[in-house]
Amino acid sequence: MNQRSRFIRKIIYACAIAALLLPLSWLSQPATTESQGGVLAQMREENQLSQAALGEIDPASETIKLATLGLRGVAANVLWEKANDYRKREDWTSLSATLEQIAKLQPNFISVWIYQGWNLSYNISVEFDDYHDRYYWVIKGIDFLKEGTKYNTREPRLMSEIGMTIAQKIGKADEHVQFRRLFREDDDFNGSLPRSQRDNWLVGRQWLVDAEKMVDQEGVPIRGKSPLLFHSHAPMCLINYCEALEEEGTFGEVARNAWRRAADSWEQFSNRDLPTQYNMFVRLADKERFDETAKQARAELEKLTPAGLVDQIKLEKIAALDKPQREAYNAAPEERTDEQRQLVAMIEDSLQVMPLEIADRIQGDKHAEALRAAEDAANAEFIARAIDNERDIVNYTYWQRRCQIEPQDDTLEARKKIYDADQAFLDADLGKARQLYDEGMVKWRSVLDANPVMRTDPSLVDELSSSIDHYRAILHQLDEPFPPTFILRDVLEAQLSFTGRPLPPSLRAPAEENNPAEAKPAETKPVESAAPAEPAAPTAEPSTES
Amino acid sequence: MVLENTPPAFADWIGPALVFFLQAAVMLGLVALVVGYLVSAFRYGPLGGGDVTYRMLRTAIRDLLSQSPRRILALAWLAIQESLRRRVLVGFGVFLLILLFAGWFLDTRSNDPATLYLSFVLTATTYLVLLMALFLSAFSLPADIKNHTIYTIVTKPVRPSEIVLGRILGFSAIGTVLLAVMGLFSYFFVVRVLNHTHEVDVASLAPSGGESSGQSTGRTDPAQNHRHQVTLDADGHGATDVVQGHWHTVDERVENGKTTYVVGPPQDLLNARVPAYADRLLFKTRFGAADTRGISVGNEWKYRSFIEGATLASAIWTFDDITPERYPDGLPLEMTIRVFRSHKGDIEKGILGSIVLKNPRTGLSSKINTFTARDFETDQLQIPRSLTDPAGKPIDLFDDLAPDGQLEIVLQCLDDSQYFGVALPDIYLRARDASFTMNFIKSYLGIWVQMLLVTSFGVMFSTFLSGAVAMMATLAALVLGFFTQFVYGVAVGTVEGGGPIESMVRILQQQNVTTQLEPGLTRDVVQILDNVFMFFMQAMTSLLPDFRRFSDVEYVAHGFDIPWDVIGVQVVSGLGYVAAMSLIGYFFLRTREVAR
Repeated sequence: MNQRSRFIRKIIYACAIAALLLPLSWLSQPATTESQGGVLAQMREENQLSQAALGEIDPASETIKLATLGLRGVAANVLWEKANDYRKREDWTSLSATLEQIAKLQPNFISVWIYQGWNLSYNISVEFDDYHDRYYWVIKGIDFLKEGTKYNTREPRLMSEIGMTIAQKIGKADEHVQFRRLFREDDDFNGSLPRSQRDNWLVGRQWLVDAEKMVDQEGVPIRGKSPLLFHSHAPMCLINYCEALEEEGTFGEVARNAWRRAADSWEQFSNRDLPTQYNMFVRLADKERFDETAKQARAELEKLTPAGLVDQIKLEKIAALDKPQREAYNAAPEERTDEQRQLVAMIEDSLQVMPLEIADRIQGDKHAEALRAAEDAANAEFIARAIDNERDIVNYTYWQRRCQIEPQDDTLEARKKIYDADQAFLDADLGKARQLYDEGMVKWRSVLDANPVMRTDPSLVDELSSSIDHYRAILHQLDEPFPPTFILRDVLEAQLSFTGRPLPPSLRAPAEENNPAEAKPAETKPVESAAPAEPAAPTAEPSTES
Repeated sequence: MVLENTPPAFADWIGPALVFFLQAAVMLGLVALVVGYLVSAFRYGPLGGGDVTYRMLRTAIRDLLSQSPRRILALAWLAIQESLRRRVLVGFGVFLLILLFAGWFLDTRSNDPATLYLSFVLTATTYLVLLMALFLSAFSLPADIKNHTIYTIVTKPVRPSEIVLGRILGFSAIGTVLLAVMGLFSYFFVVRVLNHTHEVDVASLAPSGGESSGQSTGRTDPAQNHRHQVTLDADGHGATDVVQGHWHTVDERVENGKTTYVVGPPQDLLNARVPAYADRLLFKTRFGAADTRGISVGNEWKYRSFIEGATLASAIWTFDDITPERYPDGLPLEMTIRVFRSHKGDIEKGILGSIVLKNPRTGLSSKINTFTARDFETDQLQIPRSLTDPAGKPIDLFDDLAPDGQLEIVLQCLDDSQYFGVALPDIYLRARDASFTMNFIKSYLGIWVQMLLVTSFGVMFSTFLSGAVAMMATLAALVLGFFTQFVYGVAVGTVEGGGPIESMVRILQQQNVTTQLEPGLTRDVVQILDNVFMFFMQAMTSLLPDFRRFSDVEYVAHGFDIPWDVIGVQVVSGLGYVAAMSLIGYFFLRTREVAR
């Protein structure tokens, strides 16, 4: 190879390098104040993926990432293994330090923050016996999540997680009384926030509201979380706040206003457009409207339907069944075998005569009109069902009713009386406690009569049953019998159906009295019908109960 | 501190260890001799091979017996100069950088910053020094051979064994100096970072314990992510509570009619407790029957076992050598007790326990001493010499309960359906406190031994491998050394998921480690290959040093004195490896053309 050919080869190499630099520049030129940069820089900007767009740029995190020399995945794996090992060996200091390192190594991996934040607040905190230590670790988990929001400023999921941990873990744990007290006293966590506003439900809600604002106003998507649940958390915090207020003895206007605020928030939630699995948006408040539409459309269709057509279609459907199915269907319900019951359950839906089937069979000039009515009915019923499914997930109807009933005078007063009675009972002031229980139960009677649905509310039944137990204990102390016409008998019956706990002997029927073990929940009468026609005084009739 | 394996006493360890070392040396020597003869026989025929082997052995013995310390030192000095030329001080610069920015990488809100910072500096020093030793030792000899600069040495009257020893000594010397300077900086870094004080939040001070007591309580302002509760007596003297493993003295001062509060430096933050552990721990079941372990409450980690509350279940530690000379002020008992609640109970109250001291011979016991257990914290209990028996009759700790030096400490949980979890090291007598500075130096001795090991492995591999390959081989030894227990677990099948091939198959098939592989040819082949691998892995883990046994970080970080027995075992076993590596390195270097 002579000098000349070597020179030519070098020139070719230089040209090839220069030629490759052009597409490289087009692809990866960094953005500047004057230029948008290359394709990759523009795509990063468009999808908010540049480090500066994701969150704070932390030199420590960048150093750790660089120091792994491209082995970040291996390093993360080793650290996760170590974290698991430290957790197993109860070495909390090392675990906590390892979590910091993992987070710095993968600062934009949201699941890491959520998983390990949960680990600290929920799993590690309970390893400690002293509730002060538990609280310390709960806050450590929350601080860990807050650290995550510095690296990921546009992550509503992370903010929602912070809100939920502050609200739920502090407000619903076994130690919630102590946790809520420590939270109010925690100057380090709450900073300059006035003590009167340091309620975990309200502080947690603020994070949830901020997360919602990010979604609503900035259009940041909620990844990995159901929008229905995501938006339900903030109003639920207000409801839980009201319950916490009453549990701690705050009633009157404060509680009333809190419940009204919760009701407003729940209403706003019910008027929010929410996506469903059917690829359409619904509002929880719209169910009744769609039910009405469906009802009207069905009525219109019925007017257009010739007499006997529905029965005829149904008979045709029955005739089209195979022999075992038809035999099962035609058998009297009480005479069906297990297999036949299963068969009937399977074919029942297909035997329903649908509006469109009816409309298809209506001929002549009424056909188009019937078809339109049938379609309207089918669509409205479908949407109402979809809303119903969503409502069930968040227990919508129950909370809506609670928000309506709780701010009422009777309910507030009933709750206050029972709370005061419980306090008097704990203070061993039996006379005062008994009087307050009597008054409180009369109030509850009127609340339950006005709102029969509350009789089947397990949490209310549980709460009242506990107070009734106190009441029984007082009567026992006073050597008085438990009244056979007890004013809240239906509550005790509901408790029987929920827990199987037998009624007091004076309330049992004679047959049950002889053999209380056979008094099964299923054999009790429906709770609504068990309510006395007129409220009776708690101690109206003496009995053998002692 | 968790001690899963109690370290042996040096005097008990050295005899069996020497026997094992000699056995291993003889075995390996014989294997090397046979292999060497076979190779020579293959090249020069049976007789020629025997002759070559004999001459090799004769020369080796002569070389090893007539080494010149002067020449070794001269070669070591050359190694030091070469290290300095290769800018070994860069490693020190990196270390300083790490210390400067340590706060970036550490959890500043940790509830135990002393443990965290000590672990950090000791671990960072270990990794840096080992990496430096790795690079220095693995590349030196191959680079000399490649550049032919080795000829300037081998043409002089030096023996190959002196070249190997000189390198090990030189690199170790530079590593030692570097380690000493790093230790000095680390020490001052830890002391400076952890030293702090607080201001008393005067507004928070309020009378407590009744007006007549003159006592007041309040709190300090936050510093280093924590604050303390302050209790002052009527004279204005007091102390804070223990937070993050330390407390402060607080004194009220009145100057010019103005009251100020002076908070002292942190106390008990940097300790070196010398514990006297019990000789044995036995349990009694809920019915009072003796057992070697308590019950399991379902924890994955089996270190502690549990005793049930309000039953006959108890944990009994038997201590030896309880004498008034050792404990003139009574017994300074320290205990870490794990609490397990099977029901919520009263959240506001801790679980009650009791401690009883008992004479194992006569059964005489002291009156029950009750306490509230504090989970994950070390409780201190000073047991005085004068005690009473359950009937209230006075008894003497040493004369009545431990006349022959033996004493039982019986622990019971008093709350129904609640449990205490304990292991043998969880109750000990704090015999005395050693110097923290000395303890810190001892921990650096452990790192020094590790550095020595890596250097000798690096030099040994570099006698017959190229620089990059020698580095990889040393790195492999190092990684294996840090994960010895795991590798051994894989080799003997105690780690779920099978051997290396099976693990690879599982990864490719995305199978978890607990499901059985499908029976068939694939599984049989995989298991046969794994058995071969696992045999070699087991052999390797037996031969290579377990680096974690040379680390004393846990002792220092948790405030315990490193026993000299542990240091002795580490140094002697480290020197054993150095001797073996030097010998192997010598033989390999003899096979190289340049060294003949």
